Amino acid sequence: MKIFTYFKGDKVIWAIVLLLSLFSLLSVYSATSTLAYKHQNGNAFYYMFKHLFILSLGFVLMYLVHSVRYTLFSRIAQLALFLAVPLLMFTLLGPKINDASRWIAIPGTGLTFQTSDFAKLALIMYLARFLSQKQDNIKDFKSAFLPILFPITLICGFILPANFSTAAVLFVTSMVILFIGRINIKYILGIFFSGMVMLGIFLAILSQMPNQGRFITWKKRIENFRNPDSENNFQVDQAKIAIATGGVLGKGPGKSTQRNFLPHPYSDFIYAFIIEEYGSVAGVFVVFLYLVLLTRGINILKHSEKTFGGLLAIGITFSLVFQALINMAVATNLFPVTGQPLPMVSMGGTSIWFTSIALGIVLSVSRSINEGEDNDE
Amino acid sequence: MMDNKQYIMKRTYVVYAGVCLFACAVVFQLFKVQYVEGEKWRAKAKELTTQYQTIDASRGNIFSIDGSLLATSLPIYELRMDMRAEAITDKIFAKNIDSLAIQLNNLFNDKTVSAYKKELKRARRNKERYHLLQRGVRYTQLKEVKQFAIIKLGKYKGGLIVLQHDKREQPFKNLAVRTIGYDRAGKPVGIEGKYNNYLVGQQGKRLMQKIAGSVWMPINSENEVEPHDGADITTTIDVNIQDVAQHALITQLKKHKAHHGCVIVMEVATGQIKAMANYTRKDTATYLEQYNYAIGEATEPGSTFKLASYLTAIDDGYIKISDTIDAEGGRKKFYDRIVRDSHDGTNRISVQHAFETSSNVAIAKIINKYYAKNPRKFTDKLYSLNLNSPTGIDLNGEAQPRIKNPKDKDWYGTSLPYMAHGYELTVTPLQILTLYNAVANNGVMVKPMLVKNIQRGGTMLKQYNTTVINNAIAKPSTIKQLRTMLEGVVQQGSAQNLKTNYMKIAGKTGTSVIASSKGSYNNTEESTEAKAYQASFAGYFPAENPVYSCIVVVNNPSGKLYYGNVVAGPIFKEVADKIYATQLNLQTTPVTDTTFKIKKTLIQMGNSNDFATIMRALLHNNNYKTNADWVKINVDNRVTHNTKIETSFNKKSFNSLIGMGARDAVYLLENKGYSVIIRGKGNVKRITTINTVAGNKKVIIELV
Repeated sequence: MKIFTYFKGDKVIWAIVLLLSLFSLLSVYSATSTLAYKHQNGNAFYYMFKHLFILSLGFVLMYLVHSVRYTLFSRIAQLALFLAVPLLMFTLLGPKINDASRWIAIPGTGLTFQTSDFAKLALIMYLARFLSQKQDNIKDFKSAFLPILFPITLICGFILPANFSTAAVLFVTSMVILFIGRINIKYILGIFFSGMVMLGIFLAILSQMPNQGRFITWKKRIENFRNPDSENNFQVDQAKIAIATGGVLGKGPGKSTQRNFLPHPYSDFIYAFIIEEYGSVAGVFVVFLYLVLLTRGINILKHSEKTFGGLLAIGITFSLVFQALINMAVATNLFPVTGQPLPMVSMGGTSIWFTSIALGIVLSVSRSINEGEDNDE
Repeated sequence: MMDNKQYIMKRTYVVYAGVCLFACAVVFQLFKVQYVEGEKWRAKAKELTTQYQTIDASRGNIFSIDGSLLATSLPIYELRMDMRAEAITDKIFAKNIDSLAIQLNNLFNDKTVSAYKKELKRARRNKERYHLLQRGVRYTQLKEVKQFAIIKLGKYKGGLIVLQHDKREQPFKNLAVRTIGYDRAGKPVGIEGKYNNYLVGQQGKRLMQKIAGSVWMPINSENEVEPHDGADITTTIDVNIQDVAQHALITQLKKHKAHHGCVIVMEVATGQIKAMANYTRKDTATYLEQYNYAIGEATEPGSTFKLASYLTAIDDGYIKISDTIDAEGGRKKFYDRIVRDSHDGTNRISVQHAFETSSNVAIAKIINKYYAKNPRKFTDKLYSLNLNSPTGIDLNGEAQPRIKNPKDKDWYGTSLPYMAHGYELTVTPLQILTLYNAVANNGVMVKPMLVKNIQRGGTMLKQYNTTVINNAIAKPSTIKQLRTMLEGVVQQGSAQNLKTNYMKIAGKTGTSVIASSKGSYNNTEESTEAKAYQASFAGYFPAENPVYSCIVVVNNPSGKLYYGNVVAGPIFKEVADKIYATQLNLQTTPVTDTTFKIKKTLIQMGNSNDFATIMRALLHNNNYKTNADWVKINVDNRVTHNTKIETSFNKKSFNSLIGMGARDAVYLLENKGYSVIIRGKGNVKRITTINTVAGNKKVIIELV
């Protein structure tokens, strides 16, 4: 098949992307019918075509990025990180949606994007770059550990006030990448616990402030999680009903009833929605797809000659899979409610595009390995 | 380099293991929700998602016979507000909250602007999605509310949630409320109760699905079961007669401080009930329609029952009204009890006179004499008059009457003479009226009816016709004699106070002693306890050619007066008079000029132009002329004399105004710059000036 020659890099990753996109398209079409009823006079195709466009553009982005020589990302990582900090600051002080300042408008396009998506990718790329450069004296505290701590604290710290879960996920992801990148475990544990302490201090200060903003939402969510009988636990109950009524094979495409009750059935709770319409079979399959994605990331790492490429691949895949598991853990009520989308599946323009770009980078590394570019230095 | 790589790989596998563990936990949780907790969630799903909601059918209307609306259902709204409706942003809320509070205050005027504002702000802060704005809102008010600040953003956006209920309204307010009926603790009474099945209609059903934001949305565009509106009931009630009956009853009840009373007016030929009024005393000044005594209270009727006794004796051929009977001075002992007349000293009188003056002794003697040997014959005749069974009127709660017979354990030797004058038996006012109506209807006894027809959407469902209970309750000659006597009661008997010279009324008074709770009557001389009486009057009019029959029962008047003719009679007369005055078909003889003969002398004061108008219009006198503006007019045998009234008040004397109507007097005084205080009503009796500090001219008019 000639067409496959254009798609270079790991074919399994391409396949996973396609399968997830398919799930995404089907689910979004059905899950947005309520949204369509409310905002588009029942025209459900509006959201499907919009989503199809986003997915297609994501696919194009992925293709473009995967064609780029991955060593270029080392340089881009530095630039992106410098860009991320002011962007984060701008969104923190800018206009608010849902009490959370997470989005920034791209002038002239009418599109908004979550700056944390951008910062997240930038930080992971930068970590891969930094860790690969310092491999020779990676165990050193002063030259290796302290300098890498600075961007992590900065980025996570700026995301934290607006989006606690994203900051926490990114922080954990960063720690895991540091761990894989051979940073001394003692230091990682140390920073992990001091991070927890700092978070505690942050929350304590916040709880004393008159305008508590998102803090109230966090508090409520955690309280709800700990007290399952709480009346406000509407979201979780609805998700559980969706999962329980889905059964093994699901109710069938478009047959969901819980989409009317689930908050954001096309985004935060899309996993519960998928199980409702396609059953636990689909639920397990989605988990499996993400695990395979991580396996492919490890495979790339294994075959990479250069530490940067390997760390980049494993860092990104881990980040995506970790986020996916968090999303699924929320939908199944293993975790308290957070707003993490399911990568490549949840509706939402820029989130999908950043995921596409991230996967494009992974594919670029994979392509380089396959084509032997990785070896030529 | 390879060393590093191996380390990296090792650590990666540790991470991989962790991730796999996490994934397993997710899958485990998934199955836990599906299988361990599955039942619970699936059960919850059923109650949440879809549900049949009932759509209430609108309840049918109740009409009077002339098509006036007696009871109808009006939509009434409950307004709630979703304080978190998406379109209500903080900015919009802050900007419009004041206007909304002011508008709500203006419309409902039940809370101050600041109270409204406070309440709305609190609801907003608490994120109430179902905040109660107002209950009992009418349609016109709802239309206004929809234009209010914030709310005018529109459906869903403005947050207004409207719930509709139906409220039963009786446009004539108090008119026949008890007969029409109402919902009493979930159980409708009156016509509302009896015909509930027709009125209520059939509820519809609609399958609804809950969508985001707890909004219920119909799944299909058409209702699964369409509601059928209730049928309309046309009653036989005539609003005018009902109004007259109610007014006459309550006035007389208040006057006599009676405990309760009722009036029924029936159309003789058809048995259609034209009015049914009941009042119970709540406190000294208030009477309420609470209980339908007309059908619900069976009591010892007393003298009104004598009609049945005379009917029996005459029809059985034992007596004629021209026969004579010895009333034995108004006292007669039967076994251990003495039957007594209200007027002592009567001896031998005619049967007719005995009836007309309501002699208890006479009828007790007659019945005892002819039926003592076979009392069964007497009671069987009463049974044949349908007096021992309910009339079957179209209302619930009709009392069971009781007329005992010789087989009963409580049949005593005194039973026959006492039953003869209306004791030792209980009947309802409606039953007595049915008997009188039958006599008025030349012996044809018809069933009283209250409902004429039932229609749904203009289609006749049921039409009720007059039902004849007994085609001839007695021989025509008997009926004729009875009617002669009934007429005599008013003409020369115990109810002469009801006599009018334009229409003859026929009827019978009744004054009975009410049995106390102990079952004794306290009608012995030895008793010191105050007696309780029931005054009644049953009859029909016009006597010669009866159109309406009517009964009035007043229970326990607490004044000194308790006789049927004094307490109940005036109510009957007022009803009869008003019906006669308004219904031309009753007026058999044209009104002659003499009826309206002007009083011999008529003195009036007023404006001469007004007098001219009156003369022209009423007396066809176009020649009235005078130079004075204000005159005292003196009409004497159609000759008018004018006296000029001095209106300059120079000498601060207002005597010229004495006798003038208040309106004219005030006009004249105020024109001269006086400020007037009026006391009393009627014509001017005295005018006095008051000196005020400011030198204002102030006068007090005292009226007669």
